Amino acid sequence: MDRILRDKKAIFIFVAPALTLFIVVLVIPIFQMIFYSFCNYAALTPPEFIGWANYKKLFTNDQTFRIALKNSIFFMIFSAVTQQVIGLFLAVLLTNIKRGRNLFKNIIYLPCVLSSAALGLLWAFLFNPKIGINALLAKFGVRGPLWLMDSKGFIPLPMWVIAFVALWQYVGQNMMLYMAQITGISKELYEASYVDGANKRQSFRYITMPLVRPMVITSLSLNCIGSLKFFDLVYNMTQGGPNHRTEVLATELYAEGFNYFKYGYASAISVVLLIMCLAVTLIIRKAIKVETYES
Amino acid sequence: MKKKSLAAVLSAAMVMGTIVSAATPMTVMADDPEEITWMFWDDLEATQDLISLGYADVIDRFNTTYEGQYHCTPITTNLEEYDGKVNALIAAGQTPDLWICNPGPNMDVYVKAGVAADLTDILQKDNPDWYDSFTDGIFERMTYDGKIMAVPTNFAAACVYYNTEIFKDAGVEVPTTYDELIDVCKKLKDAGYTPISCSAGTAWCLSMIAGYLCDRSGVDLGAIADHTADWTDDNCIRAGERLKELSQYFQDTAAGDSNDQATANFYNGDAAMLVQGSWAIAQMNGSNPDFESRCGVFQFPGIPEENDPNRMIVKTDNLLMSASTEHQDAVIALMKMFTDEEAQKYTAEVGGKFPIIRDVEIDYNKAPAQLKYVQDIMQNVTGTLGFYNESLDSVEAGDCFDNAMVDIFLGNQTPEEAFQTVEDFYNENVWTE
Amino acid sequence: MSTIQNSNTAAAGTAAADHKKPVRPGTVIIYLFLVFMAVIYLAPLVWIVLVSLKDNAGVNTDPFGWPGVLHFENYVQAFTMGKLGYAILNSLLVCGVTLVVSLFLGCMASFAIARMKWKLSEFINTFFMIGLMVPVHCILIPLFVRFAHLGLTNSRFGLMIPYITFSLSTVIFLMVNFFRSMPGEIFEAAAIDGCSIYRIFFTIAVPLSRTGLFVAGIMTFVGNWNELLMAMVFISDPMKKTLPVTLTYFVGPYATNYVQMFAAIVIAIAPTITVYCMFSNQIVDGLTAGAVKG
Repeated sequence: MDRILRDKKAIFIFVAPALTLFIVVLVIPIFQMIFYSFCNYAALTPPEFIGWANYKKLFTNDQTFRIALKNSIFFMIFSAVTQQVIGLFLAVLLTNIKRGRNLFKNIIYLPCVLSSAALGLLWAFLFNPKIGINALLAKFGVRGPLWLMDSKGFIPLPMWVIAFVALWQYVGQNMMLYMAQITGISKELYEASYVDGANKRQSFRYITMPLVRPMVITSLSLNCIGSLKFFDLVYNMTQGGPNHRTEVLATELYAEGFNYFKYGYASAISVVLLIMCLAVTLIIRKAIKVETYES
Repeated sequence: MKKKSLAAVLSAAMVMGTIVSAATPMTVMADDPEEITWMFWDDLEATQDLISLGYADVIDRFNTTYEGQYHCTPITTNLEEYDGKVNALIAAGQTPDLWICNPGPNMDVYVKAGVAADLTDILQKDNPDWYDSFTDGIFERMTYDGKIMAVPTNFAAACVYYNTEIFKDAGVEVPTTYDELIDVCKKLKDAGYTPISCSAGTAWCLSMIAGYLCDRSGVDLGAIADHTADWTDDNCIRAGERLKELSQYFQDTAAGDSNDQATANFYNGDAAMLVQGSWAIAQMNGSNPDFESRCGVFQFPGIPEENDPNRMIVKTDNLLMSASTEHQDAVIALMKMFTDEEAQKYTAEVGGKFPIIRDVEIDYNKAPAQLKYVQDIMQNVTGTLGFYNESLDSVEAGDCFDNAMVDIFLGNQTPEEAFQTVEDFYNENVWTE
Repeated sequence: MSTIQNSNTAAAGTAAADHKKPVRPGTVIIYLFLVFMAVIYLAPLVWIVLVSLKDNAGVNTDPFGWPGVLHFENYVQAFTMGKLGYAILNSLLVCGVTLVVSLFLGCMASFAIARMKWKLSEFINTFFMIGLMVPVHCILIPLFVRFAHLGLTNSRFGLMIPYITFSLSTVIFLMVNFFRSMPGEIFEAAAIDGCSIYRIFFTIAVPLSRTGLFVAGIMTFVGNWNELLMAMVFISDPMKKTLPVTLTYFVGPYATNYVQMFAAIVIAIAPTITVYCMFSNQIVDGLTAGAVKG
């Protein structure tokens, strides 16, 4: 029996196709991208090695990149905080009701499975200056702001709008993760705590919170990587405008790479994005591990 | 339940796979006419733009005339994505046989990369009749080191379009100087109208106004290119301040409105003036046929004490042939059809752009009314200039200028700061050599 | 998989504790709040359906009123002019093939990693997880350059390759866990009976892992169905574009023929909503289970 499960040929046949595809399509291109990031590569001419010049320009002399980096970080922090808090809040609410739990759960989760390209367009129309929300406000005599066109402030209004739409779309994901975790906590635990005279708030504080903590790693990593990768909503709501004020790393990468065809420069942006994703994942794992040991 | 739905999905996918794999070979027909591709920046089936529809007619005519011999398939994108998609195909070694292109740095890129074919011999030696049919001097901006690299299909000029009813209602006359323009704007605003519709969401639309203001204020792009003048000179700053002054008369949503939206504001009667190229005529009359009778045209007002007020922004649409095409004869036949009398007559009479060949008789009664007005303005023009973003050193330099102008408009930068940004860009990227 | 069953059947602990008490004001507030949330979630979708049935003038004058005359022709125009029919077929084809191939390849690899005995299995498992951390944006340019030379850009087949690769990480992650949670005795018994390893895989392991495959399949399908960036970069032929790309090109937020675009948005999201309504519990639980494991 052991012989069968140690069959080298079979293992090779099972693993090789997936592994080959993975190496050719994912791993080699990552190294290629790192190489390109040190090149002056303009699509129609062959790459030419220029050392750190792309990175130097990126960090010292590219205002649009700085805006994109700022927006991406804002977006990551905003999504992480709001989606965690509201997701957990909704999960607790929903586990506390008996009737209609599935209905509400499914409604709130619905946008997660819809195309964010389509939803982005939908919301862009709702935030259009003439139709949509502003027309509704006008009925009450309120003059709505230019939701997607304002350019003032450190984080301009359109960025907040996009962040709220993203929250609307994806908070269901976190809610579901936490609900799964909470419903996994055994009833006896709660009942025992009530017998011991604990009230609801205490049982939340001392039972629910510690037990959902492991889930925080998963949902926080999902949030952070997801928001760093963010492209569809921005592209379809503002295309990075007005005047690049809502550019994020992914849209900036797309613009540099596929509008200006500066492959080398766009690769440098990819490297920054990759490092940020890996760093965020490691930091979350490290930080939360420490916390679990403490408790 | 789960089992069933999975099975359904899987079998649906399998069926789809079979259908498509079976269907693909059938599209390759037996008698194989020479197949060429032409790339264009508007969806020929969905468009309402009359110029685009004219191009669609040419393609249809080509495919019927040469049926069985040649066949042309258009590859279309929307305007915003166009350059990216062309570059993508070229980089992929799938250069379209023929593609449309703006003059200036865009064309420079293709010429420098050697992907555009040299048309000099084809025009001058092989087809002298065709070459002679073009208007004098039209090849000037398409000539690199004495080689003709492109063929124009039409040319357009940028003017100010105005709503005659609104002007009448507000009791204002067509302005001829910049000061009069500001005065007209004030009066229109007092009468409750939006004076000017402009798009800063599509940066080149704002940049076109900025380009006119720069030129009117005496900015000399040639001198800047040679670095005998700077972007921080007084005339640039003055132009920036004028842009700021003028932009308070734009519609509230100018910051985010796109070109299409700003144009729609104008032809729907929400704004009194629009600064646009004459291609907008086709768009306006195509989308709102009733508007033609209410639309007047005047030249962008000048500042006589600072520069010649009769200079005009013009541009051509151009066809580039792939240097690596295997179907040269077919491509040449198609280019000829784009520039023959029938197509050029359509360009003027329906499309509202100017023909690039001589001896084409335009019936101005058939042509859009606006075209005649533009034609009249053209009579007095003493000089032409290109779009600023197409006249600078590179596509990126053009974008840098556009963005600086948008920043002035948005109030994020003063004219001094904005032009300093452009100056810095030139110091680093252009004047180094 | 235990979480799936739990959320479906058992009530939560705190809810059970509520059971004996009469309705309290707190509960009323919770329900009011949840109804408010449901409105926020459903109102935009209802709105888009309403305005998609108006004409352009109606949209501009009264975007929130009930449409007087129903303009179903908007849908016909959107469908034909926007080439949405092709787009849906393309998306079905690309996502369908991706689903089948990635499940097949992923399932094989997972079986070898989870159930067979070899030194590198843990390392290879971790290696496949790179795909969960690396954003697809990072390989966009090198992949595009390489595919361009191979003539794989502007082809649906070319698009499937990166889709399959990125789906593999998800599939392998879920399936490794799934195979590991299966009792080992089944395989041992089969091996003792003299089954070859291939028969064990195809006749025992695969049929027993239907739940896992369903979850992995839903996750890959939904993810690829909605993918925009890669499809946008790879495909330029309008007849080969997938649904999100076609929609993005056809519907610019700044273009002016509103009603057709509204109709196009509705056409684009309606199939997903229909499927979701039919199988919402399975889909929600499946996706959650997938994410929990991920």
